Formats: sequence, structure tokens, C-alpha cells
Amino acid sequence: MSKRNVSRRQFLNYTLTGVGGFMAAGMLMPMVRFAVDPVLAGGSESDFVATKQKIKDLSTEPTRVDFSFTQVDGWYESEVTNTAWVYKTKDGKIVALSPICKHLGCTVDWGGDKEHPEQFFCPCHYGRYTKDGMNVKGTPPISPLDVFTTKEKDGILYLGQRKPHGEA
Amino acid sequence: MKWNTTDVELYITAKEYVDTALVPLIPISLDDRMKQLSSMSEFLSILSMEIEKKFKGRILLIPTFHYVMDDEKKVEGLQIWERKLQQAEFNHIFFLTSDINWKKEESYLSSSLVWIPAINLESLPMEQAREVMKQQVEQIISLFMNEWKKKD
Ligand code: FES
Repeated sequence: MSKRNVSRRQFLNYTLTGVGGFMAAGMLMPMVRFAVDPVLAGGSESDFVATKQKIKDLSTEPTRVDFSFTQVDGWYESEVTNTAWVYKTKDGKIVALSPICKHLGCTVDWGGDKEHPEQFFCPCHYGRYTKDGMNVKGTPPISPLDVFTTKEKDGILYLGQRKPHGEA
Repeated sequence: MKWNTTDVELYITAKEYVDTALVPLIPISLDDRMKQLSSMSEFLSILSMEIEKKFKGRILLIPTFHYVMDDEKKVEGLQIWERKLQQAEFNHIFFLTSDINWKKEESYLSSSLVWIPAINLESLPMEQAREVMKQQVEQIISLFMNEWKKKD
């Protein structure tokens, strides 16, 4: 028997590692899947959710728009209500900002701070953002508010994916 | 932040920003109060989750303190938690409950006890239940913000 032949023991070893590796991969995959940010995992790419907001009622003043959708988050499937701050720019473009503070995730309010009525305000550590979602230097947040993609259909506002500022 | 691995990891790295602990207090009983108490439990869980959502970066939502309805020892039990939370350097500790019995124990606790009457959510149509819940949440939000302002 030549040395090059795979001995019985080696063969068994190979196979076992093979199977073992397979099993490990099988166990890891679901865990990785659960760890994925539910926002990223939510539905297919092109999902737009209808809101109750009529496009013609939007003004240059940010308004709160709630929208609901089903989210699969790890073990559970649940009905989630999300919020966006929506307004029209002077040249008629629609901007929909995520209210989630980029510091540690509290919910920001438009005009929540009396001293800065034309800004978004985070009550947790007094973070602030200008109307276009840019973080105000010197306050805790280090990046601008995320942006929702938007769509108009039959005069109704549809909101899509949440993306970092500048990518929507 | 919630009591799960992702949020707790975040908490550990951002401790200095999370100065508030929220502990829901929910009674359990298996007699004829069962239905009422389960509805109370549901109401309070939703309420705590909504508050957590609003103040995610500043609040750690501690898992609910459950106790048997007529247990005399519940106050001592809660005092142990309170001490632990104080040692963990939470400047603000809120106990949130719909059980009126805590009102008379308030003096034994050094933290803020927030009592809010439970609303029977399943008796309302979904839209209305949402609206009612929103109002309750608003109330508690302003209460928290005032409390923070006092000590900030
Ligand atoms: S979470 Fe908004 S400023 Fe800290």
C-alpha cells in the first residue's frame, strides 16, 4: 500500500471534520440571522408602506407621520408602529427623517427645546439636529438623522427603507 | 435599553449616559382577580416598552418585578432591588405600577413610585386603544423629563 493512499483513520477524520464543520455552520447561521438589525432584515428591498398622510397636506413644518408594518424580529413577528418627521422643502421635495437619535437611540421631537424651536431635540442628553437632519456640533450625536425613502401614490405618502443620511 | 444581549452590550459601553432605571411592578394572583391582573400586566408591559422606546439611550428597563398579590414581604424584596440599583449608580430609579397597594408602601422606598391606573385595553377598538396609550405615555414622559431637570 503506497503512503499516498488515505488510510482508513485519516479518511474517517476527514469525513468527521466535514460533517462537524457542516453542523457548526448550521448552528451559526441562524444566530447570525438573528443578530442582523431588524431594520435591515425587514421585508424585501422595495417595500413601501402606505401612511395616512396626504401629500397635499404636508407643509414646510415637520409633522409626525406614523406608519405600521409587520416586523420579524428574531423569534417574534409583530406589528410595529414607526414614526417619521415629514416636511416639504421650499422647492417641493419631500423629506422624511427618522426620529431615532444617532447618539443612543432615543426619540427626537421637532421643536422639543424652547430655546431652539427650529431644530430637532433629543430629551435624553440634549442632542440637537437642524431641520435637514444634520447633527449640531457640540451636542452628543455624531451623525445626521437617518432618512426614509419616500414615494407618492394616489396623493398618499408612502415610506420605504431607512437609510443613513445622503444615501436615500 | 432593554434587558437583552444587544442592548446590555450597548449599556456596558455607554453606562455614563444611562442614569435611569425603570422597574415595572406587577402583581400575580390565581383567584378571581386573575383576569383583572392579567389585563393590568398587559397594560403595564406595553406602557414600559413605549417609555423605553422614547428614552432608549437614557433608561435601562429592568425586567418586571413580579410578586404574589397579598405577599407582605414584597416591600423587602423590592428594597433589595432598590439597593442594588443604587449601588449600580443609577441616579434616577422609577418604579412603575398600576397596583394601588404600593401607595401605602411609598414611604419605605427612596425612589420615585409612579402609579398609573390600568386601562382595560382589550375593551377598546385598536385605534382608540393606541390613542389612549399614547396619552398615558405622554404623561409619563413629561414626568420623567421634569424629574431629570430637577437633578441635572
Ligand atoms: S440619545 Fe439622543 S442625545 Fe443621547
